[in-house]
Amino acid sequence: MSSHMITPDLASRGFKLSLTRQGLASTATVILVLALVGNLVATHYDEVTAALVFMLGVTVAGAVGGLSSALIAAAAAFLIFNFFITQPAFSFRLGTERDLAPLFIFNLCAIVTGILAGRLRDRSELAKLGNARLTNLLRLSRALQSAGRVTDITAALASIAEPILNARLTLFRLRPGGVEWLGPADTARDVGALLTTLLASDDGMLVDRPLVAIRLDGSEGTIGVLLLEETGAGPMDLYLLRTFGGSVSVAFERAILSEQNAERRALLKAEELKTALLNSVSHDFRTPLTAISASASSLRIYRDKLDVETFDQFLRQIVDDCERLNRYTSNLLEMSKLEVGDDPASLQTLGVADMIGVAIQRVRPRAGSRHFETAGMDARIAVSANPALFELVLINVLDNAILYGPDGTRIVLSAEDLGDRCRIGIADEGCGIPEDDLVRVFERFYRVRRSEASPRGSGLGLAIARGFVEALGGSIEAQTPGVGNGGTKIVIELPIAGAVPAS
Amino acid sequence: MTNILIVDDEPSLIAVLEPSLRAAGYVVATACDGESAVAAVRRIDPDLILLDLGLPDMDGKTVIGAVRAISAASVIVVSARHQESEKIAALDEGADDYVNKPFEIGELTARIRAAVRRRASVRVKPRTYRSGPLLIDFDARSVRIEEEPIRLSRKEFDLLQALAISAGQVVTHKRLLEVGWGSASADSQYLRVYIGYLRQKLEEDSTDPRLILTEPGVGYRLAPPG
Repeated sequence: MSSHMITPDLASRGFKLSLTRQGLASTATVILVLALVGNLVATHYDEVTAALVFMLGVTVAGAVGGLSSALIAAAAAFLIFNFFITQPAFSFRLGTERDLAPLFIFNLCAIVTGILAGRLRDRSELAKLGNARLTNLLRLSRALQSAGRVTDITAALASIAEPILNARLTLFRLRPGGVEWLGPADTARDVGALLTTLLASDDGMLVDRPLVAIRLDGSEGTIGVLLLEETGAGPMDLYLLRTFGGSVSVAFERAILSEQNAERRALLKAEELKTALLNSVSHDFRTPLTAISASASSLRIYRDKLDVETFDQFLRQIVDDCERLNRYTSNLLEMSKLEVGDDPASLQTLGVADMIGVAIQRVRPRAGSRHFETAGMDARIAVSANPALFELVLINVLDNAILYGPDGTRIVLSAEDLGDRCRIGIADEGCGIPEDDLVRVFERFYRVRRSEASPRGSGLGLAIARGFVEALGGSIEAQTPGVGNGGTKIVIELPIAGAVPAS
Repeated sequence: MTNILIVDDEPSLIAVLEPSLRAAGYVVATACDGESAVAAVRRIDPDLILLDLGLPDMDGKTVIGAVRAISAASVIVVSARHQESEKIAALDEGADDYVNKPFEIGELTARIRAAVRRRASVRVKPRTYRSGPLLIDFDARSVRIEEEPIRLSRKEFDLLQALAISAGQVVTHKRLLEVGWGSASADSQYLRVYIGYLRQKLEEDSTDPRLILTEPGVGYRLAPPG
C-alpha cells in the first residue's frame, strides 16, 4: 500500500493534485508516444486526425495517472502539437490568426478530457482507499472483539488503530475518584480540562485539534474516554471516529466486566477461606475445649471419687488438648496471613526430607506406635515455599494419616524430583477412601464414613492443607491405594527450588 | 440407678465423660456412632441418652427418630452454640434438652438431673411446682411469689405451666406458641411480649431475668429449682 492511501480524511482528500511515481511514468510514456504517433499521423494524414490522436493520448494519461497526469499530458500535447504540427513546423511560433483558433479549442478539449478522465481515475482510487480502510477497520473490530482484558484493548489500539488513524491513542478509564490512564500512548499535553469538559457535555465527542476526545459509554453510564492526538496527514473523519469509539466502548465495557468478574471470583475464594477459618474456630476448637472443660470441672467436683489412673488420664487429656488447640491456632494465624496476601519474600528454599523430619517430630506424640518410613528419600530435593505453611501442610496431612491409619501400621513418605516440581507422597495403611470420594476429601467437613470406632478429626485438616498448598503454587490430591493394597496416598506437588548441594 | 448412654464420635470426650458420670453415680455405656447407638439402646434400654449432633454416619434427627421408635429415654443433645437450626430440629424430633459445647460437668449433671426428674414426674402428675420463691398450683391455676398471690392471665399461666412442667429444660418457641396460641406458626412476636409480661410479674428485675431464661434462637427455659 503506498503511503498516501492511508491519509485519514476521505472527503477532504478529494481531488488533490498528487502525482505518484507510476502516474508520472505513464504520463511521460504517453507524451513520448504522442510526439511520435502525432508526427507520423500529421505527415500522412492531416492535422485534424493528428489532433484526435493527441486527444486520445490525454484521455489515456488521465485514466492511468489521474487528474494531474491528464493536465500535464494536455499541456505537453499542446506544446508538441504546436511545435511539430502547426505551421511553421519545428517552432512554437504561430503563423496566422487562423491557426490560433483550432489550437485553442484543441487545448480546451484536452484539458476537459483530462479533467474528466482524471476524476474518474481519482474516484476509483478513492473507492479502493475506502475498501482498504474498511478491511483495516474490520481487522480492528475483530481485535477489539477478541479482547478479553483491558490490556488486550490497549494493545489492539497501539498495533492496529494508531497506524490506521494516523493518531496517537490514549484510553482513560473513568473511576469514582477520577480518570485512570491506561495507554497505550502517553500524551504530553495536559488533557485534564478537556476530559472534564467532555464528561460534562451532552455530546459524546469533543474536538480541539489536534486532540479529539471520544466519550466511551457503557450500558450503565460513561466508562471512560478515548483520546486521539492527530499526528499530521490531515484531519480525521468525525463520523468514522464516532463509530470507532462505539466499538471501543463495547470492547472496553466487556473487558471491565470480565475483570470485575475475575476479581469477584478471587474475593469469593478468599471468602471461602474465611468461612473455612470461622468454621474451624467453632468446630475444631470446641472439641478440645469441651474435653478440657469437662476434664477440669470433673477433677474439681469428683476429686475424691476418681481413681488415680482416671485422675492422671484427665490431666493428660487436658495437656493433649491444649497442644491440639495450639496447633489449630497456628493454622488460624497462617490462614489469616494468607488472606493478607502471599508475600513472595517469605518463600525460602526448604529441604523436603528435612521438613518431613520436622513434621514427623511434631506429630509423633499423637502417632502411637505408627511407624514412619522415610527410607530412600533424596536429601537434596528442595522446594520453594514458606516454611510455616509447608510445615503446617505436612502436619495436617500426617495427622490425617495418623487419624485413618490404625495403631501399629506404617505411614510411608516419599519425595521425587519431577524437574520443575517436587512430588511428595504420604501414604497410610488405613481403610482408604472410596474412589468416588477421592476429590471430596479436600472439602471442608468431609469425613470418611466407617462403622467401627475410631478417632475422628474435624474434617478440616485436608481442606486447610489444600488451601495452603494452592497458596504456595502447588497442587494436592488423594490417591488410592496408599501402602500395599489399602489406605490412601496424599500426593503434594510444589515448585522445586533446585537441588541443595550435598554437604 | 439411672442408666446413661453417651453417644459421641470423639474418643477424648468419651474418655472424660464416662468416668465423670460414673463418679456422679450413674451407670454409663458408650457408643461412637448412630448405628451402634441404636443397637445399644435396644440392648441396655437407657434412661437417658447424651447425644452428640455431629455423628459421622447419621444426622442427629435420624438418630433421635430411631431411638424414639424403640425407647422412652430422655435425650439430651450435645451441640455447638451456632447450630440453632439443628438443635431445634432435634428438639422437634423428640429430644428433651440440649447442652452447648464446651460445657462443664456441673452444668451437664444439672441438665441430666432435670431430665431425669421430668421423666419421673410425667408418671406422677405433679399438682404443684415450687422453685425458690415461686409456687405454682396447677389445679387451682394460682401462682405465688414469696406467698404473695400473683394475678396471671390465662395465656400467661398456660405458658408458665408449660415451662414449669419442663423446668430446667428448654421449651422451644414452637411448643410455647402451640400452648399459648394453638398454632406453632403464630407470630413469635406475641410470645416475646407475653414472656415479657411474665418476667415483669415474676422476676425481681425483669431486665435481668433469673427465672425465665432465654435460649437464643431456640426457646425459653425455667431455671431449675434449687
